[in-house]
Amino acid sequence: MIKINDLCFSWKTTPVINISNLHIQTGKHLFIEGPSGSGKSTLLSLLAGVLTPNSGGIEVLKQPLTSLSSSQKDSFRADHIGFIFQQFNLIPYLSVIDNITLPCSFSTIRKQKAITRSGDLKSEAVRLLKALGLTGEDIFQRNVNELSVGQQQRVAAARAMLGSPEIIIADEPTSALDSAHRDAFISTLFNECDKENITLIFVSHDSSLKKHFNHHINLGAINNIKQEQQ
Amino acid sequence: MAIFSLAFKSLLNRKFTFLITLFSIAISVALILGVQTLKDETKTSFMKSISGTDLIVGARGASSQLLLSSVFHIGNTTNTIKYDSYKEISQLPVVEWAVPISLGDSHKGYTVMATELSFFDHFSYANKQSLSVQSGEISDDMFAVIIGSDVAKKLNYKVGDNVVMTHGGGEIDGHDHDNIPYFISAILTSSFTAIDQTLIISLEAMEAMHTEHNDFHSALPSEQSTRTDTQQDDGHKHEQHDHDAHNNHDTHNDHAAHNDHDDHDDHDEHAAHNDHDDHNDHDAHDEHAAHNEHNEHNDHDAHNDHNDHDAHNDHAAHNDHNDHDAHHDHHDHADHADHAHQHNDTPEQRIARLLQIKPENINAVFIGLTSRQAVLGVQNYVNNYKNEPLTAIMPAVALQELWAFFAIAEVALDIVTVFVVLVGLLGMLSIILMSLNERRREMAILRSVGARPGHIFALIIGEAAAVCFSGIVMGIALLYGLLFALQAPLANHFGFYLDINFLNLNDLWVLATIQISALIIAIIPGVLIYKTSLSDGMNIKF
Repeated sequence: MIKINDLCFSWKTTPVINISNLHIQTGKHLFIEGPSGSGKSTLLSLLAGVLTPNSGGIEVLKQPLTSLSSSQKDSFRADHIGFIFQQFNLIPYLSVIDNITLPCSFSTIRKQKAITRSGDLKSEAVRLLKALGLTGEDIFQRNVNELSVGQQQRVAAARAMLGSPEIIIADEPTSALDSAHRDAFISTLFNECDKENITLIFVSHDSSLKKHFNHHINLGAINNIKQEQQ
Repeated sequence: MAIFSLAFKSLLNRKFTFLITLFSIAISVALILGVQTLKDETKTSFMKSISGTDLIVGARGASSQLLLSSVFHIGNTTNTIKYDSYKEISQLPVVEWAVPISLGDSHKGYTVMATELSFFDHFSYANKQSLSVQSGEISDDMFAVIIGSDVAKKLNYKVGDNVVMTHGGGEIDGHDHDNIPYFISAILTSSFTAIDQTLIISLEAMEAMHTEHNDFHSALPSEQSTRTDTQQDDGHKHEQHDHDAHNNHDTHNDHAAHNDHDDHDDHDEHAAHNDHDDHNDHDAHDEHAAHNEHNEHNDHDAHNDHNDHDAHNDHAAHNDHNDHDAHHDHHDHADHADHAHQHNDTPEQRIARLLQIKPENINAVFIGLTSRQAVLGVQNYVNNYKNEPLTAIMPAVALQELWAFFAIAEVALDIVTVFVVLVGLLGMLSIILMSLNERRREMAILRSVGARPGHIFALIIGEAAAVCFSGIVMGIALLYGLLFALQAPLANHFGFYLDINFLNLNDLWVLATIQISALIIAIIPGVLIYKTSLSDGMNIKF
């Protein structure tokens, strides 16, 4: 589902990424481990089509990203990829529900999927929140800044899952959580991704999380540009 | 559409800065529209100063000067024209009406205008509205004064009050015409023209104030008269009768001299008085001023043959008399001792009543023609008038010309308001720019869910558009709030009637320009955030 061939990317003149070969299959929970500065975020941006590689090819869902224009890549991302970031995932001026349904403003495919599933966007958002363990009407009405970090991350997960994109990329989603919450978050995330048949790419510098995943990659190992070289 | 809903919610989230920007734009919008409205209304009010008058005739000179002096009572009034010229022009067949005016005196800073009673029939302003009376009644008494609403309000005058005119503009003290007091017969309703600040008297009274009648004092049997002669002409006896009747509060019938009075009436009625020689015979030994006056009187009789003028004069005297009695009844009884004779004519007034002299010179003539087509012909006739140099102006044209002088001030005002709007928009720009850095995370999130850089750009433009649009709406609300709040005070204190209209096409253009300018200005932060979101991508930098 994701194929990377001879991928090279440099920030200005500094090479950051040089991956000769990487294949990720559908339905997998993949853990990409890498210390800070190893180019994790850059790799994710390349996968998302936000950054364009200097050379080499990236194929996502059999679609070579390099053949798409930047706005086509934006649409492609909207349609097929959900993101969960480390922290502050939510737009402060939108309600919980509005944050979750935000991708539908940019992707009609995901909007259709969500509506097909629950009848309307709000019901689907509520369904996902409940599945992720957030219940109670009051949460939906609250300002997102009033939620705890754990609740915020679950709202972010719900947003990433809404409309069942094929891929969810989670960039250090648990680093702001304590260990109890972290494990609970990861297990609910796994459950939901399995149910929806979503490929989860989980990126972290924390190798202790490796145990939850059946597949893992060490970015330091596959990236030909070594830390020392940077 | 989703982007605009986002932009709107984003603005609501930053209520405080949003409101400040909103207010600054609203205030600048209200200001620019307000200035436009005031300009328009000032112009309208200016143009409404006179209507229904086809021509104004005055001494030769600049048309604006004639307009200013005759309509606005501003400036130089020394240029006069002959009363005879007025008479001649008024007799042209196409002249429907002609009203002479004479200026030059003042009362506590307010203009005194002398004219004829027909002024009230013919003078109109705005949409051919005539002057109307708010209290009292327009009296044909020679010493009645009709005052404008502002004069009444500011000086707290009521109908029946006595006023004294001042010679000239009142710059020099001690030039009061206090020998000829007037009583207020009517107060006009506000017309929001110069008439509101004007006192209107009769031409004859104006002339009386400016003519020295000392020679005639001796003709009166008043206290200061040194005359010992007992032989008086009928007219004087009549006057004496009036006077005495007043002093004694007697009725006519009781008075011994009443018979004389009747005699006099008889004389007038059958014009036996014109049997002038008769009188001269009587007064043969009477070789002083009284005789002159008598002659004068006869002159009047002579040209009263065709309009019963003498009888009218007597009537006037009578009316005055009655009027005085009435005043005594409800006015002066209480403080009778102090000024029991307040309403009695002064000797000067009595002389003036007898003489009824029209002034030799007047300042201007308002003319109405039977047809508008005649305007140019009459104007030409007046401009080439043979007996003296005259100018005839068309009020509407002259008003336009005069208004053109204010064009430069209008431009200056426009420039100032444009800059105020610009400052408002720059305030908006700075607030948007300041918010950009703290919103990079928001932009990264939007990018992650599939927003294009173009969406981010549109979000910023949309915010600016929303702020500006709300500012405009609020500015309009503010403007109308202010207009409604200021309408009454402006009319009351400044005599300026503010007509409240809906926004005109020009205003809508101004508003559209402001809205478009806001969008153009917002391109600056839009481009900045576009570039940032391109380079930031989904990376959130702290």
